[in-house]
Amino acid sequence: MERGTEQLIITKTFSEVINIRFLTDSTFVLRFQRNGIEFQAGQYIVINPAGNKQKREYSIYSPIDAPYLEILVKEVDNGFLSRKLKSLKPGDLLETEGPFGYFVLNEDKISLRQHLFIATGTGISPFHSIILSNPNLNYTLLHGVRLGEEGYDKDIYTLEKYIQCTSKDKEGNFYGRVTDYLKTHPVDIDTWVYLCGNSSMIDDAYTILEQQKVPSHHLHTEVYF
Amino acid sequence: MKYHLITLGCQMNIADSERVITTLNEMGMERTENEEEAQILGIVACSVRQKAINRVYSRIHKWNKWKDKKSLITFVSGCILPSDQEKFMKMFDMVFPMSQLPQFPEMISQYGIVTQMGLHSQKENQLSGNKLIKKFWKITPQHSSTFEAFIPIQNGCDKFCTFCAVPYTRGREISRPSHEILEEINDLVNNGYKTITLLGQNVNSYGLDKQGSEITFPELLRSIGEFGNTLQKEFWLYFTSPHPRDMTEEVIDIIASYPVLAKMIHLPLQSGDDKVLIHMNRKHKLDEYRQIIHYIRRTIPQATIYTDIITGFSGETNEQFLNTQKALEEFKFNLAYIAQYSPRPGAVSSRWNDDIPYEVKKSRFHTLTGVMGKISYDYNQTLLGKTTRVLVTGTDRKGEHVTGYNEGKIIVRLNNGSQDLIGKFVNVKVTEASDFSVAGEL
Repeated sequence: MERGTEQLIITKTFSEVINIRFLTDSTFVLRFQRNGIEFQAGQYIVINPAGNKQKREYSIYSPIDAPYLEILVKEVDNGFLSRKLKSLKPGDLLETEGPFGYFVLNEDKISLRQHLFIATGTGISPFHSIILSNPNLNYTLLHGVRLGEEGYDKDIYTLEKYIQCTSKDKEGNFYGRVTDYLKTHPVDIDTWVYLCGNSSMIDDAYTILEQQKVPSHHLHTEVYF
Repeated sequence: MKYHLITLGCQMNIADSERVITTLNEMGMERTENEEEAQILGIVACSVRQKAINRVYSRIHKWNKWKDKKSLITFVSGCILPSDQEKFMKMFDMVFPMSQLPQFPEMISQYGIVTQMGLHSQKENQLSGNKLIKKFWKITPQHSSTFEAFIPIQNGCDKFCTFCAVPYTRGREISRPSHEILEEINDLVNNGYKTITLLGQNVNSYGLDKQGSEITFPELLRSIGEFGNTLQKEFWLYFTSPHPRDMTEEVIDIIASYPVLAKMIHLPLQSGDDKVLIHMNRKHKLDEYRQIIHYIRRTIPQATIYTDIITGFSGETNEQFLNTQKALEEFKFNLAYIAQYSPRPGAVSSRWNDDIPYEVKKSRFHTLTGVMGKISYDYNQTLLGKTTRVLVTGTDRKGEHVTGYNEGKIIVRLNNGSQDLIGKFVNVKVTEASDFSVAGEL
């Protein structure tokens, strides 16, 4: 009976913002104090600017050994919280709770396994943490975005392991959606597949992978709602 | 001074209300079921469905009109979303999370009602967060039954299922100290209670929020089991609701090992389709759930298994619904609490299109109810001629027969029992079986 990971200690804490690093006009990495929070790569935290009642879950972007925490945020049109986060300044306070979640690598035989990470948009965040936390990982990262400029921090990935699928321009490695890529590049059934992003991508990719006979216990999902 | 209290929602809210009643009674207030004669009017609210929230609004509008004619104090607590909380602040005299109940006498005193408790409770103002909920748990509940009790062992939820607002109304999981739980069980059993149900939104993740300073859920069950062995008093211990993710083999092994741990397991499935489970953010697949059921069947063959199902969740296709039907047929639950999906305010899924027409939800609901009726009937037939231990809990609707349930929570009607048996264990020979219940004789 596989149960994934042991749950780590969950804490609620206030952290000071260290800085904001913009990757595009609307997407940024928010770095803040770690305050001793221990997590497993792939987990998420619940966050809100101090004094605000609205909270949201964000996957942790930074690796497990970084002295700070980072999240990857895309400003949403009419989105209250993402705009609020974008306006934060160094020294502002954030309330954080966590970590939560089970979207982590199965530690058993981790070095022997081939991993396929499939993300759309900021769904790359947990994979950024996982890959930086596991330098010897055998992986391929499939990243679906609209434009080539949305390959968030793509230079940190090994060149041949990062495949950017762009649907609105041809600046990526593959022109089309990640599901188009999967249809034309069947996945080996021994691969452990992790999917993170919007639910329609996960739905479609899940169906394709099932058709390709990838066993369901090799499929792991984290939906961004 | 009299008070009137309305409780909406789940068993957790009812358990919370039992502590509100204790607090008000200890302040010298007298409870009344007639709201018109009360000077203090309160609601323990539920945010699970919009209908429940609408009831809060309609009631406070009425009470506020009464304020033109008489002096009243109103309060609301329970499961309240942040957005409703702000609106309630303008309508009620007091709005507070349940964890702040220990401060209630002090709040009341702001309205000129000084009670002995009020004077003592001023120091509670200096407490916050975890310390407050710990104070809340120390309040002795005013149980509504003399033989059935519910004990909250945890508050909040960390699972974030998309159809549920509990993480946003009750916050993160906080586990109650195990020594308090064990003391409360000890008191209840020694006072003749026959069934005790441990309550928590994710009851089997109990203890995981602590830094190793608290025992885990299996260890808690083991302690209760050992206590039951030592005490030699008959009682059944239930728990609800567990999450499949935390339903380990260790939990099942321990249930199998101790007589006081009831051989009835409630394990919410919600859907029999993996994609719907992903949309619900349930963090488990059908096959993982299947493995748990198989282990229960192997380890505790006599166990009854109950579940929760939602039909017509956003985007649920007919094929996905049929997968749920197949799951019910495969797992042969004794009972499924089937709900037609309705968006819950504050939950993630409330932002999605509620795209399954009412008639389709209803039809799927009736289909599953029919399937469950047949499965339940087949199981109940196997009880015919057998003797089952029953806790007598009350009478049927017509008042003609006393009724109760056995360890597996199968409803049993006694054809020849008297009301003197209510609150007692009896042996019943099953002579009739139907959907969802059986009947028999002493």
